[in-house]
Amino acid sequence: MYSKQGTSERQTVMTAQKPKFGTFIRERRTGKGYSLRRFAELVGISPTYLSHVEQDKVVTPPTADRIQKMADLLGESPDELFAMAGRVPEDLPKIIQSQPEAMPALLRAVKGLTPEQLKKLQDQASKMRREGDPS
Amino acid sequence: MSGRGAISDVPFLPEVRIERDADALIAEYAQRCGAPVIAPVPVEDILELHLGLTFAIEDLAALFGTDGVLGAIWFNEKLVRIDTRLDPSENPLRLGRYRFTLAHEIGHWRLHRTYYREDPSQAVLFDGRGQPAVVCRAGEKKIPVEWQADTFSSYLLMPKSLVVAAWTEWRGNLDPVILSDLPTVTVADGRDPADATLDRFSKPLAERFEVSAEAMRIRLEKLGLLLRERPNTLF
Repeated sequence: MYSKQGTSERQTVMTAQKPKFGTFIRERRTGKGYSLRRFAELVGISPTYLSHVEQDKVVTPPTADRIQKMADLLGESPDELFAMAGRVPEDLPKIIQSQPEAMPALLRAVKGLTPEQLKKLQDQASKMRREGDPS
Repeated sequence: MSGRGAISDVPFLPEVRIERDADALIAEYAQRCGAPVIAPVPVEDILELHLGLTFAIEDLAALFGTDGVLGAIWFNEKLVRIDTRLDPSENPLRLGRYRFTLAHEIGHWRLHRTYYREDPSQAVLFDGRGQPAVVCRAGEKKIPVEWQADTFSSYLLMPKSLVVAAWTEWRGNLDPVILSDLPTVTVADGRDPADATLDRFSKPLAERFEVSAEAMRIRLEKLGLLLRERPNTLF
């Protein structure tokens, strides 16, 4: 196995609109130098299933823990992969259920904001967390 | 070979030229990795990471509506498909056949793709081998395009230098082994007892190279390391 630097490939994928999950995984996998069989083994799925995933032929995407594993191996953002695969990250339901009224209200309130606006809110939340002042 | 797009009129290639091409591919890959290739030869990495072919595992019987297709290559799409029945995670005993089929498709890519470029209607090439020998045996009639890919596969998976080195490490010398010196294997399925005996002997090396015992036996016979008869000597 050898690893080739996939900078140009990455740029190609990132500039394309909404890359398909399977295509994205295949490009990243080969860019990292994993064979289909080796990657499937590390993720804990069969090569045949991974092959179907990479061809975007599966009805049900891989489970959240397997997508997390793929993200770890490929050095990619798990949230990005979850979004592409149409999966909700495993921790989200718990977060919402921890504050069943406030969290859904917050999500509804921010719905429709631009990515930049969301980033500002996220930064603000981080600042509040750092300062230990949730009020 | 069978199916649409099948072609049989590739020019004759001497075996030595096929071996040279397989060795050259291994050398290219080693140079790119910056490390020598060791057994088992990483054919999956060579196919996907070095040659840049797309690799998929699928139900080819369903895809083509016929049984017995183990692999196929689409030259224009740079795509190789292998039948799901060869998936080693589901069928560990077919690992050798899986790797041989991959190397066979690499053989088509290296040796035959130029003949298809100009004719997109012939851009798919089936590998329709069924149960018979993995590698062409003497006397077995096989069309040239498939024979060449099989031969390439054998050389790619079992290059002379690696097999000779492994044999020497295993046996301690380069002396050939003769069939009559081996304990005979009893076979009940109509197989040739000589083949079965030599296959069993070849098994340790076959496992090391991740090929079938049969493929390794044929390679060892070709290298003159396995003999069916004691050679005549003057003394």
